[in-house]
Amino acid sequence: MSAAREALGLPLVFLTVTLLGGLQPGTPFALTGPSLFSLVLAAMLFAALVRSGAVMPDRLLHASRGLLANANGAVVLVALFAASAQLLTLLTPRTGLPLFFVDIFLFVLLWNTLIAMPDRGRLLRSLAVILGAAFVLKFVILAGLADPSGSRVRRVLVALFDVGTFGTVSQEVQHPAAGYLAFLAAALFLVGVATLPTREDSSGTGLERARARPA
Amino acid sequence: MRDPLVRAGGLIASGVYGAFIVWLHVTQPQTIAQVTGGLASSVGAYRADPQAFADGLQFFRRDQFIEARAALMRADPAERDPQTQFYVAYSYYREGWRRLYRDDTLYARGLAAVEKAIRLAPNGRLVIDDPNLGMHSADELKTELERGLKTDRSDFNPLKVFEKRK
Repeated sequence: MSAAREALGLPLVFLTVTLLGGLQPGTPFALTGPSLFSLVLAAMLFAALVRSGAVMPDRLLHASRGLLANANGAVVLVALFAASAQLLTLLTPRTGLPLFFVDIFLFVLLWNTLIAMPDRGRLLRSLAVILGAAFVLKFVILAGLADPSGSRVRRVLVALFDVGTFGTVSQEVQHPAAGYLAFLAAALFLVGVATLPTREDSSGTGLERARARPA
Repeated sequence: MRDPLVRAGGLIASGVYGAFIVWLHVTQPQTIAQVTGGLASSVGAYRADPQAFADGLQFFRRDQFIEARAALMRADPAERDPQTQFYVAYSYYREGWRRLYRDDTLYARGLAAVEKAIRLAPNGRLVIDDPNLGMHSADELKTELERGLKTDRSDFNPLKVFEKRK
């Protein structure tokens, strides 16, 4: 992996996800930190990434590397963890039964992933599905139910649904930009995870390996 | 030779970016003006607009508190100037002061503003030398606002109607 990717690219991507994950657009806008449960989920996700080989900690932190290189590697790992926690907080509904069930859903899925020990490719595909499902649930389905605009019939149906569920499902209204920012954060996170150093990187790039090969 | 430079540059850039995110979480700015003003004040480059501040003071002295606050907020859009925030709080105090009662909503906003002014003042000490004011320190103003928000036996004292607005 190139020094630029490790020192600049990956920290920039993960720190941007951390920033976007905490941002709640609107007037006034606010920044929220990760929830305690999302720290647990982030730790599980981190462990799953390591076990699958999607993250190779020894490629980022190792005695054979220089001080600066190890510092860059540590920044990548810390930023990855922070981005995971913020992204999971962002994709989790804020209140009520959806919060409870999505937390359980994510916990069980990540636990299952930890036990199944998929390879890197399968884990990345599984992660995309998990994040995509959480995104659709929060920013498409639940946001649609909370949307105050629309026809009178629609509002009456939503109000009846709210009464039928004792208000435990409806969420607060989202700013129109919130979904786009969340999508950008999830996409950036997946790109960042996909570009983390892998086992194949450990012996250098294809070009470097070809150069090292005796003629 | 190039790699160590890239790595050192990346480390510095990540540190600055990470510190910025932590700073955002700690200070919780609510507008872009507060973000830019907060960054400017952290390097000592933030100043309230003197013309808008003077306009605000004029309105304040004429008891036009809403206009005064509009001008003061224009003077200090980032809400980083303790003196301006003191006058904002004072405008809430004077507007919320009634002979028979105190407006809790305005007093609560005044309290939030004076607490902000105290946080921003060096060592939390803020004294304003203005002969038109009945209270010159942020501590006095804060105590007065807190007293106005409390409900106790003294609120039912009929002699309270003779109290003067400070």
